[in-house]
Amino acid sequence: MIELPIAHAGHWIASLLYLVPLVIVVAMLGFSSLRDRRAEAAEAAAAPSPDAAPDEHAAP
Amino acid sequence: MIRRRLLAGLLAAVATLAALPQAALAHGIVGRADLPIPQWLFGWAATVVLVVSFVGLAVLWPRPRLEQTAERRIASVPKLLDPLCGAIGVALFAIFVYGGFAGAQDAATNVGPTFVFVIFWVGLVMVSALFGDVFAAFNPWRAIARAAAAIAKVGRGPLPEPMPYPPALGRWPAAAGIVCFVWIEVVYPDRGDPSKLAVLALGYAAVQLVGMSLYGIAPWTRYGDAFSAYYGMFARISPLRWERGSLYARAPLSGLTSLDAVPGTVALLCAMIGTTSFDGFSAGPAWGEIAPRMTDSLRNIGFSQSTSLEIAFTIGLIVVVSLVAGLFQLGVRGMRSASHVDLTAEQLAARFAHSLAPIALAYVVAHYFSLLFVNGQAFGYLVSDPLGSGANVFGTAKVTVDYGWIPATTIWYVQVAALVIGHVAGLILAHDRALVTFADGRAATRSQYWMLAVMIAFTSLGLWLLSAANS
Repeated sequence: MIELPIAHAGHWIASLLYLVPLVIVVAMLGFSSLRDRRAEAAEAAAAPSPDAAPDEHAAP
Repeated sequence: MIRRRLLAGLLAAVATLAALPQAALAHGIVGRADLPIPQWLFGWAATVVLVVSFVGLAVLWPRPRLEQTAERRIASVPKLLDPLCGAIGVALFAIFVYGGFAGAQDAATNVGPTFVFVIFWVGLVMVSALFGDVFAAFNPWRAIARAAAAIAKVGRGPLPEPMPYPPALGRWPAAAGIVCFVWIEVVYPDRGDPSKLAVLALGYAAVQLVGMSLYGIAPWTRYGDAFSAYYGMFARISPLRWERGSLYARAPLSGLTSLDAVPGTVALLCAMIGTTSFDGFSAGPAWGEIAPRMTDSLRNIGFSQSTSLEIAFTIGLIVVVSLVAGLFQLGVRGMRSASHVDLTAEQLAARFAHSLAPIALAYVVAHYFSLLFVNGQAFGYLVSDPLGSGANVFGTAKVTVDYGWIPATTIWYVQVAALVIGHVAGLILAHDRALVTFADGRAATRSQYWMLAVMIAFTSLGLWLLSAANS
């Protein structure tokens, strides 16, 4: 007899509920890491490069 | 407005889930352990506790505290106590071995199996975590080696220097020893046979004596002896530390900060968590579905039924230990990528390995609490009749086991509390270590995001295993 996977769905669905908080936390951490990296990249891009040409309008 | 809608939606989802899976949990312990909420919701609550603890640490714990605590001497201990405890340890070992050969060959009437798997393996863990490294004093192999060394010194003068303990070996022998012991406990079909256990104990003692004679008593006991390393790890959680002649008090958990994470230390800690996990997992319905399939496949190759079962359980044990190690490594690599620290993943793993010790304790308490306090009652009558010969040495041979002594609900709450407290302790240790490893508090907190995920994963795994084992 072929046993449908859904026959014992109650068991593994209940088990999956234990994973939900972990998935939520990992997703939040992933999102947070991505945001941090973007912020760091933006900061790095905004900072003046040491090799950049001197500002012509800068005070002597 | 959007946030309110999201919150309302989340609450509705939780309420729906809380109402729906009762049918699915028909095989759970809900019927026996009258719980107000579904078991999986305890996992969610535990996650909330961990996240709140993490935030609390980030805000209220700006400087390392455990790394810099000092211990103070609180009492002097008679020097005679150490050899006396050693002699008691040797006597207990001798009684165990003698009882294994001379007593009834039955786990229910011979004290040996209950002594090894309940009192020694579980009870001594709790004692070590509370009162320090008690096993070091009672360690029979160490006592025999020290006595032999003292006698040899008197007879022949100074003994030759032992070989230096190989640094690369580290705690690997201890890790292998713990996995082997749990293999005997969970997989070995003759684990309840007192004479087989006695032979194994003698074999283990022989290996320890050879190890100590080759590398010295202290180095081998510290790194090579599985039980010394195992109980010694739990003893570092204790607020007490024994040293010959003195008793010191210290902050709980602070002993772990001085753990020398030599090679094999992470493996030992992962083995401690993984073997307990597999013990729980093998009692649940998931393994009940996997094991027969594996056994059938192995029988088709040509193995006998019993050998197939042993191989399947051995594979399961190794896989679960590897999964635990993989999970920890994942957290460490995440920490490394989040903090941009100039350390390799192996170096970071060694630095943060000590944070796994309270988790290992939590797993032992959660999984074996009922075994110790319910099945352990058998020791009451077995101690009076250790050989099963009808003796009544202490007048307790008629004591019976009260299986209803601790209600199932209490057991569940103790299990949940142990897991949550153990993981919060792990977070504290990791946070404290991060403060001395990374440049500033912000970087330290950011580095611990992934350790938080690891702690939540271990908590969820532990609660799932317990709920499955209780079903």
